[in-house]
Amino acid sequence: MQVTTVTMRRRIAVLFFGAVAVFFLLFIRLGYLMFVEGSELRLKAEQLRMREVPVAAKRGIIYDRNMKKLAVSISADSVYALPPEVKHSGKADEIAKKLAPILEISEDKLKEKITADRSFEWVKRKLDFEKAQQIRDLELPGIKIVEESQRFYPKDQLACHILGFAGLDNQGLEGIEVTRDADLKGIPGEIVIEYDARGRELPQAIHKFNSPVDGNSLVLTIDETIQYFAERELDKVMASPSKPKNATIIVMRPKTGEILALASRPGYDPNNYGSFASQNWRNIAVSNSYEPGSTFKIVTMSAALEEDVVDPDDRFYDPGYVVVGDRRIKCWRSYQPHGSQSFREVVQNSCNPGFVEVGMKLEEKEKGLFYKYINAFGFGTKTGLGLPGEASGLMIKEKNLKPINIATISIGQSISVTPLQILTAACAVSNGGVLMEPQIVKEVIDSNDNVIQDFTPKSVRRVISQETANLTCDILESVVAEGTGRNAYIEGYRVGGKTGTAQKAGPGGYMQGKYVASFIGIAPVNDPQIAALVVIDEPQGYPYYGGTLAAPIFKAVVEDSLRYLGVPSQYAEGEKEETAPQAVKKTVTVPEVINLSFEEAKKVLTLEGLKAEIKGEGPIVTQQTPGGMAKVEAGSTVLLRMGNNDASPAPGYVTVPDLTGKRIREVAELLGIMNLKLNSVGHGRVIEQEPIPGSKIKAGETVTVTFSDEEITEETMGP
Amino acid sequence: MLERKTIKNLDWTFLWLIAIILMSSLVVLKSASANVVTGQPYYFVKKQVLWIGIGFCAMTVIASFNYRQFLKLGNYIYLLNLGILLAVLLFGEESKGAQRWIGLGPFEFQPSEFAKIAIIISFAAFLNRRQGCLNTFKDLIPCFLYIGIPMLLILKQPDLGTSLVFLAIMLGMLWAGGANPKLMVSLILVILLLVIIIFGILFVATDGFQKPPEDLPIPLPLKSYQLMRLIIFVNPDMDPLGAGYHMIQSQVAIGSGGFVGKGMGNGSQVQGNFLPEHHTDFIFSVVGEELGFIGGSLVLLMFFLLITRMIKIATESRDIFGTLIVIGITSMLCFHVMINIGMTIGIMPVTGLPLPFMSYGGSGLLTNMVSMGLVLGIALRKEQLTF
Repeated sequence: MQVTTVTMRRRIAVLFFGAVAVFFLLFIRLGYLMFVEGSELRLKAEQLRMREVPVAAKRGIIYDRNMKKLAVSISADSVYALPPEVKHSGKADEIAKKLAPILEISEDKLKEKITADRSFEWVKRKLDFEKAQQIRDLELPGIKIVEESQRFYPKDQLACHILGFAGLDNQGLEGIEVTRDADLKGIPGEIVIEYDARGRELPQAIHKFNSPVDGNSLVLTIDETIQYFAERELDKVMASPSKPKNATIIVMRPKTGEILALASRPGYDPNNYGSFASQNWRNIAVSNSYEPGSTFKIVTMSAALEEDVVDPDDRFYDPGYVVVGDRRIKCWRSYQPHGSQSFREVVQNSCNPGFVEVGMKLEEKEKGLFYKYINAFGFGTKTGLGLPGEASGLMIKEKNLKPINIATISIGQSISVTPLQILTAACAVSNGGVLMEPQIVKEVIDSNDNVIQDFTPKSVRRVISQETANLTCDILESVVAEGTGRNAYIEGYRVGGKTGTAQKAGPGGYMQGKYVASFIGIAPVNDPQIAALVVIDEPQGYPYYGGTLAAPIFKAVVEDSLRYLGVPSQYAEGEKEETAPQAVKKTVTVPEVINLSFEEAKKVLTLEGLKAEIKGEGPIVTQQTPGGMAKVEAGSTVLLRMGNNDASPAPGYVTVPDLTGKRIREVAELLGIMNLKLNSVGHGRVIEQEPIPGSKIKAGETVTVTFSDEEITEETMGP
Repeated sequence: MLERKTIKNLDWTFLWLIAIILMSSLVVLKSASANVVTGQPYYFVKKQVLWIGIGFCAMTVIASFNYRQFLKLGNYIYLLNLGILLAVLLFGEESKGAQRWIGLGPFEFQPSEFAKIAIIISFAAFLNRRQGCLNTFKDLIPCFLYIGIPMLLILKQPDLGTSLVFLAIMLGMLWAGGANPKLMVSLILVILLLVIIIFGILFVATDGFQKPPEDLPIPLPLKSYQLMRLIIFVNPDMDPLGAGYHMIQSQVAIGSGGFVGKGMGNGSQVQGNFLPEHHTDFIFSVVGEELGFIGGSLVLLMFFLLITRMIKIATESRDIFGTLIVIGITSMLCFHVMINIGMTIGIMPVTGLPLPFMSYGGSGLLTNMVSMGLVLGIALRKEQLTF
């Protein structure tokens, strides 16, 4: 034996230590790979093999307050491609050729998509069921279809600015869809498909379906029917010769702050939002601020009454203007000044100098007092309604405030408010002085209709006392009964309100011919159920006054709404005497039945002791003769012309009002407001007029009115 | 051939280690090969069980055969081996770009596997005759030629991995056989230098392993894919979807396993076929991904214990011939484990050497079982026996 056992053993020991070293090295590297690089490699592993096909959660439903569906989610099929699989099949050209005619996408573009250097690619989202079925039947490799959910707004344009819309990925983009996105969207699911190294779906691999969690549903405070009334009237005014730039109506429940309707024009169809200009999406009811003009006088008035700087019976004298500092503020009727009047009449006449005086008095009593009320009514801050893009309005900074500003703010200038703010403030007045937070979402409910979140009406603060509030409402009622707001008068209900006609400010001062006509009203004033604001922005030509343009729209919406809500007509005989304009004995006032169905119209007319005669065809009354408010003998027949609701008056025309029984001063004022010229014959009360009431004539034309000479004595004895 | 006394020497620890490794290999193989043949999740497990049966029989037969008989047969075995290797080059079946197989009726036979055992036995006999005559470089030249000829034939197939196994076997056996330590150290240094030169050439040719080589400044006797494997070993991200794919995927699989792994059958990288050859060469990646650090460490431990046991057997052999055979087999096993596992965890280039006992494959398993039979037989006869 040449090699000794000892040497050999030593050498084998060396070999053993070599093996130990090798194993130690492997062990260390294994641990390093798993613990040091592990998390990174794990991530890499996931990216390599998992392809997730997103499955959007079904978005919650949006209901109106009566659980009528305003927005729902329907399923829609989407086509996606798995480019690796397409490429693997080697039939990319063929696939593109087959898909192109169905999807109406060019072959080249399709091919580019389905062979993109990605593992997942949408080919076309949310397409027709039939087309999806066609594609399904083709069984193309690497082309798959997944069921997604798509937003559908069954009422089309209705409440579009409240609802907004959701995008392709079911994400809220506008309106309540975006502000309540977290509630509505749910949790998206996904189909996780494991792919092998070649990008082929593994036949036995995990097809995990993480099912999406459906979103919660919203119950809005909106009433679909009232919303419809509002939009119907907006459509009408938009199509009328006035052709305003835009228009808004908000209807609110004063006691709770709940929004019953909120509509603007121009609108859009949220099902098809992409084909409308994006400015149509804008919810001007909350995003636009404007100078409110005379409607703001409600604030001035209630603040002044609360602070006792004025009493309803205080006397004011209007010379047609008022001078503040070096500026002269004209009354809207400076051509025929209001002269001596009580504060109540100042309000009824919406007399600017009177309000300037009141505003100045308020500021004289205590500096900053007026602003205190303006702030307390919620101006300058967002109402917190929960719709996107809400503006807070613009106010002159208090430290920069000059007397002239106080004067102009008193009449609703030099302050910019949103329609929602001014209505909320008016609601506070009608709600006994307590400002409520406007509310649009009533409840959040889950898919099993369990209430998840309940939004109770929230009062913000008391702004004025109950007594002041009552007094203000009382004066506002007289505005409708006897003042500028008489076109908002609704037979059988006590309506209070205030008109507003603001000239629009532009660069370099107020712009000629650009007005905002508005009307705020409350009904019934003694138990307010509804408050509504109508804002008509930049009406063309005449009429542009709040009292002539906005008030009738208010009337149309609120009258229908009161009837729809079943608010009982509360007209006591005594009140009728007091508030109804010039009731002539043994005559009745013809109710306005336009827009009602024949049955409804007949019921209303019968109630007043009138007969109805039908003419033409259509679901609703489009014209009535004599018109609403006309005084006729009891038992007369009213001719109802039936038609569709989109019938609009002939362009450029105004309707001649019924002047029967009125005195010359009223006639002059009324025709003046409507920009009609007066040709008077005789004195006393109107006994005849040409053209007859209800006829349409061009603005600026002359109405010949014959007065009865017998009653001349009464006229001379008048106030 | 066996007596009662011999059976008393049966190394149960060694046998148990082999049994445990084989059993765990079946568990891993079940998970690793379930998706290879569609609809037949047990296809490879069944075949492997058959091969294990055959392997145990072969081991028993070889163990009962007195290894000392091989002493005289050494040269015949060597010549037979050369003949077969030549036959492969001339008539072998091509598989994956290499001629490694010979068809024998229904069986496919991989001669380079047999060649490893043949060379261990014949080289042990060769060294046995030259004990004490391994002191000068001149003494070593015949050894180099003896190993070099079959090694070149295998390299020509081409099978770089197996030819490197020959190198490892030669080094281990020369060392144990008493070669001059200085010469051994120089030899190792020369091999290291060669490796450095090869990588140096590749470094120049690939602009610091940043791009595939165009022309080598000095030609190397290696196929382009073999060169690419070496380049990729340094920078797998150069061609992540091509040559670097295996390396990256294997490390991703193992690295994502974590401490306890993803569970049997849940190894996403493996089950998703991201890692090809996961039931053969890359079976350790399955262990790493599905059984985690614990599983991987246990496999390393089992091999370490097996090798330790074999080294013990080597020292207890009654003669140097036996010792040399056991050391040759230990070197072979250790080298396989090092290269294979090292490859899966990114510290060795991809060579295509299977993991002994674990990787699926009949020829490899049979070779390993035969070599275990040899070790077992040597262990059985560790004491001087009277004939």
